This record gives sequence, C-alpha cells and structure tokens, in this order.
Amino acid sequence: MVEPTVALYGAAFEKAVGVLDELLRESGARYAMLVDRKGFVLAHKEALWAPRPPALDSLATLVAGNAAATQALARMLGELQFSEQVHQGQHQSLYVEGAGEHALLLVIFDNSTPVGRVKLFARKSAQALASIAAESVVSPQKLGIDTEYREGANALLDELFGS
Amino acid sequence: MSTINFAAREINFKIVYYGPGMSGKTTNLKWVFQQVPENRKGEMVSLATEDERTLFFDFLPVDLGEVKGFKTRFHLYTVPGQVFYNASRKLILRGVDGIVFVADSAPNRLRANAESMRNLRENLAEYGIRPEDVPLVLQANKRDLPDALPVEMIHAVIDPEQRYPIFEAVASNGTGVFDTLKAVSRQVLAKVVATS
Repeated sequence: MVEPTVALYGAAFEKAVGVLDELLRESGARYAMLVDRKGFVLAHKEALWAPRPPALDSLATLVAGNAAATQALARMLGELQFSEQVHQGQHQSLYVEGAGEHALLLVIFDNSTPVGRVKLFARKSAQALASIAAESVVSPQKLGIDTEYREGANALLDELFGS
Repeated sequence: MSTINFAAREINFKIVYYGPGMSGKTTNLKWVFQQVPENRKGEMVSLATEDERTLFFDFLPVDLGEVKGFKTRFHLYTVPGQVFYNASRKLILRGVDGIVFVADSAPNRLRANAESMRNLRENLAEYGIRPEDVPLVLQANKRDLPDALPVEMIHAVIDPEQRYPIFEAVASNGTGVFDTLKAVSRQVLAKVVATS
C-alpha cells in the first residue's frame, strides 16, 4: 500500500453514519457522504424523503478528482489547500469540505435548504468525521488480508476474467 | 436505499492505466466495461473532449465478489495521455495500487512510449513512490498494425532491465485486455499480502 488506507467498518462506521445522519437532520440536505481522497466511498447516508441518489461511486470519484485538482490550483496560488467548495446550481447544490488528511465530506442539497445552514453544520460534522477517519487508518494485516484471502481473490479473478 | 452494503467490510484497489496519447487506455476500459456482467460493475465515467480524447480521466468500478467476508473491488482509471495534460495526469496517480502501462506498437510512437514511461517515473517520484514499489505490468497494444514493431523492441525501450512482464494486446477486439488486467490484479493482491 502506497498510501495509508482508511478502513471504515464496525463501530467506527456506525459512528460515521451517525454523524452523517445528524448532519442531514440539522441541515435539511438530501445526501451526505464521506469519501476518501483516492475516490472511494467510506460511508453515506440519504434523507428518507430524498429520491434515489446518483451513482455513489461516480460521485465519489468526481468529487475526489475535483478536490485534487482544486488543491493543485491552491498550491499554484501559494495556499496549502482551499478548505471548502460550494457548487451552486439552479436546483441542486454541492458542498465539499476536507475531513482531515484522508477524507472529504460531501453534502448535496436542493434550493429549499439555505447554503449557510449547510456550511454551519457541515463544518462541525467534518471535524467529527476527520477524527473518526484518522482513527480508522489501518494496515491491511489488521483487516485479516492474508494468503488465504489472496487465493480466494485470485480464484474470483479467474471466474470473472476467464483463466 | 443504497445498493452497497457498507456494514460489510469492503476492500478497494486502485489500478491506473498509463501510457502515451492514443495508445488505447480508454479502449481497454471500454472492453472491460462491455464484457463484465451487469451486476459486477458500476457506471463508467469518462471526462473526455468531443473527439473522445480523455481530458481528466476515465473511471470504472469492477466488483470481484466476496472473499473471506471482504467485498473486494477494483477501481480502474485511465490518465489523459497527451503530453500537455501532466498536471491532471499526476493527480490520478494518487493512492495508486497497481499500474498498467499501455504502449503503442506503431513505429512512430516508440519515442512517445519512452517519454511516457519517463514521465510516469517522474510523477511517481513526486508522490515519493519508487517504481519498484508499485506493481506494474506492460501492455504492447495495437498488435494488429501491419507495421507493428517487435514486442522485444518495445520492451527493451520502455523497460531496459526487463523488470516487468509484457502482454500483447489488440484492445479494440479485446485480445489481451483481461490477461493484462488479471496480471496486475494478482500482483496487487500479492503485494498487499506481502506488506501486511
């Protein structure tokens, strides 16, 4: 592993989902998502009243790509990074804030929700999520990745791609 | 509700297709996307110009299935190959677990292959990664060209020490696409086990 891996499961995962859930209730947003900076979904939550979200993997990838590009822009301007991004559309908007070194918080909301409210509560949530993510950085060994796992995965590769 | 069960443990790997402009990186991904059954893949995302040149990246998630209680997935990315897109190309390498280098077999692209490999090494170095630390496989694509260079010659130019395996491919009809992907995936898995 080149970069540290954030593996969110069990109690830490439940805690993260709890934070996202609270954020949705307080802010009135549609979807909240914790994404790692490599573009993987770590946890997500959608409001009960909201329609089905767009493909989560695609969202995560584009948000991480966008954040990376924005960070590169920030560095060109002599900043370490921009702390938050808001993209406002006619009906839907998107708010992204860094949640520590490894993760990003993504909030999607419609025009019935004031952006100030999203910002206010997202900032609080981002801090809580940053510490959860930081505690969930693990080595693959701790997850139980071993030779048995490798053999199992290799067999699945043959099954999917033909041997 | 979501189609993904996050309560289950999940492992994600990031594989990046690298190489010079027009060598066939996106074509590799398109073939995988076409062939993998519906329930084992997500949406393919392409950020491309109108003439289908990759501008930022292509992305395709592939589900391997469950191993020892771990949901295992491979996220496949391509980079834009054109020389002047290096700033965005470098971003895609972040957190990479394995690399496929797609080389073009055309005689007039030999030099472009070499330059792209050098660029890969430079970009990895900026992330503090030594090329020998990340699993890498080579693919000599477009073997169907009438004037395709011998594979040995391409291999000698992009990998003089012959450190990495090379696969022959015709990505437009799928030849060698899965062999290449399987090889890099196996190396990624081997590496994870070895470092743990």
